[in-house]
Amino acid sequence: MKATRVLAVARKTLRSLKHDKRTVGFLVFMPLFMIAIFGYTFGGSLEDVSVYVVNLDPGVGNASASEAIVAELAASGVLRVEQVIGPEGDPARSVEQALAEVEAGNAWAAIVFEENFTADVLRSVADAGSVPTGVPGAITIHLDASNPNIAQAIMNEVQLTVQGVIVSEYHLLPPMTVSEVRVYGEDAEFIDFFAPGVMGLAAMMVTFMLSIISFVHERSTGTLDRLLTTPVTEGEIVAGYALALGLVGLIQSIVILVTAVALFQVQIEGSPMLVLLIIFVLGAGNQGLGFLLSSNAKNEFQAVQFMPMILFPSILLAGVFWPIEAVPDLLRPVSYFVPLTYAVEGCRSVMIRGWGLGDVWFQLAVLATFAVVMLLLSTYSLKKRR
Amino acid sequence: MKNKGGAAGDKPGFEDGEGSVVAEKLRKEFDGLVAVDDLDLSIRRGTLYGMIGPNGSGKTTTIKIMVGRLKPTGGRARVLGEDVPIVERVADIGYMPQEMAIYTELTVSENLQLFGELYSMKPGPRAEREEELLSMVDLRERRHSLVSQLSGGMKHRVSLACSMIHDPEVLFLDEPTVGVDPELRVGFWQHFTDLKARGKTVIITTHYMDEAVRCDVVGMMRQGRLIAEGKPKELMERTSTSNLEDAFMEFSWRDAA
Repeated sequence: MKATRVLAVARKTLRSLKHDKRTVGFLVFMPLFMIAIFGYTFGGSLEDVSVYVVNLDPGVGNASASEAIVAELAASGVLRVEQVIGPEGDPARSVEQALAEVEAGNAWAAIVFEENFTADVLRSVADAGSVPTGVPGAITIHLDASNPNIAQAIMNEVQLTVQGVIVSEYHLLPPMTVSEVRVYGEDAEFIDFFAPGVMGLAAMMVTFMLSIISFVHERSTGTLDRLLTTPVTEGEIVAGYALALGLVGLIQSIVILVTAVALFQVQIEGSPMLVLLIIFVLGAGNQGLGFLLSSNAKNEFQAVQFMPMILFPSILLAGVFWPIEAVPDLLRPVSYFVPLTYAVEGCRSVMIRGWGLGDVWFQLAVLATFAVVMLLLSTYSLKKRR
Repeated sequence: MKNKGGAAGDKPGFEDGEGSVVAEKLRKEFDGLVAVDDLDLSIRRGTLYGMIGPNGSGKTTTIKIMVGRLKPTGGRARVLGEDVPIVERVADIGYMPQEMAIYTELTVSENLQLFGELYSMKPGPRAEREEELLSMVDLRERRHSLVSQLSGGMKHRVSLACSMIHDPEVLFLDEPTVGVDPELRVGFWQHFTDLKARGKTVIITTHYMDEAVRCDVVGMMRQGRLIAEGKPKELMERTSTSNLEDAFMEFSWRDAA
């Protein structure tokens, strides 16, 4: 293997990208766009979720537990209380009215405080520590759970508010507490979790795509055949491409890292260079994969058809947006065969946990093995073509 | 750089007496279809050799075997004294395929640079050679144009220049003059003649029988075989014809009979 020839192939690959202004734009802006969209979408918290409240509880004397809770809910910002119905009027009609809004899609939930809510609360408070003499105060939430995230947020909000009111209004402390001490990820937000994932995903998508399309093009125009009549060897061609596309992946990662830090204050606890090394190895491996699959595509159109096949398992199973612990048992073994899994895991550990080379050597070793195997197979498949 | 422009006979494993390009009972079948049919061929060093014949007569297949892109089904082929696919002296052959096979997304100059680098040429000599070839193919002003923006004929000329960047000992040109206007074509043939004078071997396939007259030796191919071979003049004399086209028709009839 001769370095000058490897470099010649790498230079020609980068140059042909460089002349195509739109592709250059795509390579730079696609990751930027990806991280910005994902960042703003997932980075924000839920706000102004419409709910109706049906308060059938007239309170006891001047005290009303339901009113205290409703006031807190309205102040939280997560929920927007469109209207409080009751306690005057026919209870059944009030509930019906609120339910109709949920059914019509105008609100996500109808929160109903039962008629004796405050009385039940007061008795339960008095009973505290001894045998209960009645039922606790009851809140029923009629949910439009067609969006699980919103449903979850409403339930959390109501429960947190109820707990808060119990402590502040009735001075009842829960008998047990749980507190959190963060070993890693102090101040970590969701964006810190998925930025490394998006970075790996972008690098892998683009190196794979460029590789498969370039090689289908090289095969169909006859340039690959022509190259092979010169002293350049199959291995040198593959290495040249891996070098060029690995660099492209690297540049994209830099764009993503800079954007993520500038726009979303993503933390990089460990070494950025280590993150880039992981991405480079991932890119080189995917270049090989793209190359191998390109021999099974007759034209660019067929090449593009391979993309979803490779991308979907990676997006869904590699832990980009949710942890692989959330992948069902049946599919989890597949996760361990997706190279992106290791890149995401490695980058995440370096960026959030601040791990070093000694801690992510395993992930790097898996990626390096993937790259070496892919590049050797590519070389072999080229040799077989003679 | 192995090619110094000197006599090819100096190199080990290659006797000058033997042809630069030799085929013995060379055979190539594609799924039972015979493309090259026990072809015997011997082209001496310093020859401008023209291969003529209709489409499908096996010209391109023969050349692809010689440059190592196809494996023969049977027989033997030797280039510069080495069995194909040649490895030792691969830098001493040049090949221009029939299809464009250059990087259309690169400029003219970048294509030449790439091929020069693949032949491990030093930047200085490579730049000199680039100038020379750009003049020859009349593309000096277009050197920084992307190949995709050139006309078909210009692309062909870039491709020709790429095959010659390293001044090879043996040059295989598959239809080099397609889409090249007559004036420039004359210049090309002059250049091929110069190469020959410097001891290079040039093998050209062509459809234009009239230009094959300029070759030292013409091999007429039909159905994967050589049906006639000789100096153009001899071939015409042997068939009592006045041009190669008629001579080819005459040899074809004799062969079919």
